[in-house]
Amino acid sequence: MTNTNLVFKSLTRRKGRFLFTLLGIIIGMASFVTFMALGGSLKSQIERESAALGANLVVTPKGSCAYEQVSILTGEQLPTNITKDEVAAIRSIDGMMAIPFLAERSAIDNRPVSVMGILPGETREFKNWRLAQGEYFPHENAEGAVLGSVLAEQFGLLPGSEVRVRGSQIKVLGVLDETGGKDDLTVFLSLPVAQKLYDQKDLVSYVAVRVDHLDEVELYANKIKDKVSLGVVSDKQMRNSVLSIVGTVNITLQIIAAVAILAAAFGIVNTMMTATYERRREIGILQAMGATRTGIFKLFIFESGIYGLIGGVGGAVLGGLAAVFAAPLISQNAATSFVKGAQSSLDPMMFVGAILFSTLVAMVAGLYPAIKASKLSPVEAISYE
Amino acid sequence: MNNSVISAKGLVKEYGQGATLVRALRGVDLDIPRGSFTCIVGASGHGKSTLMHLLGGLDYPTLGTVIIDGQEVSKLGNKELASLRAKKIGFVFQFFNLLQNLTAKENIETALMLAGVPDHEQEGRAIELLELVGLEDKVNAKPGQLSGGQQQRVAIARALANDPPVLLMDEPTGNLDSEAEAEVMKVLENLKHQGKTIIFVTHSTEIAARSDNLICVRDGQVQEPQAFKKAS
Repeated sequence: MTNTNLVFKSLTRRKGRFLFTLLGIIIGMASFVTFMALGGSLKSQIERESAALGANLVVTPKGSCAYEQVSILTGEQLPTNITKDEVAAIRSIDGMMAIPFLAERSAIDNRPVSVMGILPGETREFKNWRLAQGEYFPHENAEGAVLGSVLAEQFGLLPGSEVRVRGSQIKVLGVLDETGGKDDLTVFLSLPVAQKLYDQKDLVSYVAVRVDHLDEVELYANKIKDKVSLGVVSDKQMRNSVLSIVGTVNITLQIIAAVAILAAAFGIVNTMMTATYERRREIGILQAMGATRTGIFKLFIFESGIYGLIGGVGGAVLGGLAAVFAAPLISQNAATSFVKGAQSSLDPMMFVGAILFSTLVAMVAGLYPAIKASKLSPVEAISYE
Repeated sequence: MNNSVISAKGLVKEYGQGATLVRALRGVDLDIPRGSFTCIVGASGHGKSTLMHLLGGLDYPTLGTVIIDGQEVSKLGNKELASLRAKKIGFVFQFFNLLQNLTAKENIETALMLAGVPDHEQEGRAIELLELVGLEDKVNAKPGQLSGGQQQRVAIARALANDPPVLLMDEPTGNLDSEAEAEVMKVLENLKHQGKTIIFVTHSTEIAARSDNLICVRDGQVQEPQAFKKAS
């Protein structure tokens, strides 16, 4: 017999209670791990998207707020207030590359997808795309669509098949190689075709700018502002502003999960208090046999810790699975579609941290019952009927 | 009194205070000879169990001294007292008080663990002890699968786990039928022959008659055994 054996035998004596208390902590920890993983994946995805954008500056309609900046990174629909003349003025500045984008939305099989109007040749060069299947737009005004790899896979679309965008059947020309970003979930059309489909003649949503010399980003931002009355934001500003929103969302989600864990911790307190009362006589017997108060305290705190340890492992596994498999089903929005590429944010250290945290919370929850148990006098405990 | 394994002097035990003060023991002096079969007798509520708790180091006296195998209880802290109980005293209770979720062997192993016996030595010793009380075929039985007499024998085996010089038994046959009582008494006879000191709290005049040292507790004091015999 060891302390560990004794603890496990005590824990599993009342199997139902053990299971329900355990479920409380598993569910609490699972929600915590899920939110952490999703939060982490959103953050890393924002960073990936920002890098994938390939721009140092983004020109947006004047008065754009952080929401529009998020939309640029997530592929949401954007106001189309930038005119052809404004684009031309920006593109006339030397020492930088400026690419206009028309960001729209459509639906395939009732699921929302991003539709992007692009200048095919320049955008391919700007984004360094490679083609996986079929062909790319043969010229700048070409009819037809090029699809992101994940979108093509999700909807079973191949070169030659047709995709319906805003009521028009459009032939799929090709499928891009996986980029790891939102481009994988986008239908690309040539800019004139997209503008015609969405009645946005000569208008675009934003212009992505890459300057030739990184140390001149600020200078070029001012040059653009001199030419056009539009908002100019650097990729760093945009990333930080989006990350701060994501951070706020993460903290909110983690607070919700913390409440779940707190509730589970009180479940442990309740279970262990009940055990203390039920096992008074047993505590007395152990004391009569020579168990010290510290020994009794350790037994009870160890029991609580086991709840936390098993609950933490169960919660980490369940939460990890939820983050990978269930999250995309929760919503069809662009944020959760990121989860496909979210494996990288299932950090092993996060799991270890979650298990340690869960064990610690459970042991803290078990402190009061353990102290109560250890303070029972042997005579009082043995005499308990 | 060199031959005493336990001795008590001027033992007073009070519970509560003010209007609720209860004086359970009112100055008890006694000596338990080493190797004796001592019975503590008396009517319910007269202080037998309180005396037993003090003699076994489960509680501290309000006044007076208890010396167990040369160690004065009042001078020991909780930890030392727990260690003294583990090494010097084996407790047996009326309601067996076995841990219900453990087998007979595991109950004994728990006592061995608390006494610091390494895990790998516990099983052999536990089986030896079950053989000693004639329960070698009930090693893996849980208390619920054993009769009252068998459970009490497991409790005795458990009390012997650390080979203590003293067995302190609180009405161990009080909950048994005469056949089971006979089984337990047979085990105790053997233990007495092996030199164990047995302190046996009982209501039974028959068992008291078999003792070689009789202590009669009445109104929190030790009286002449004759008084008990008459009262009975």
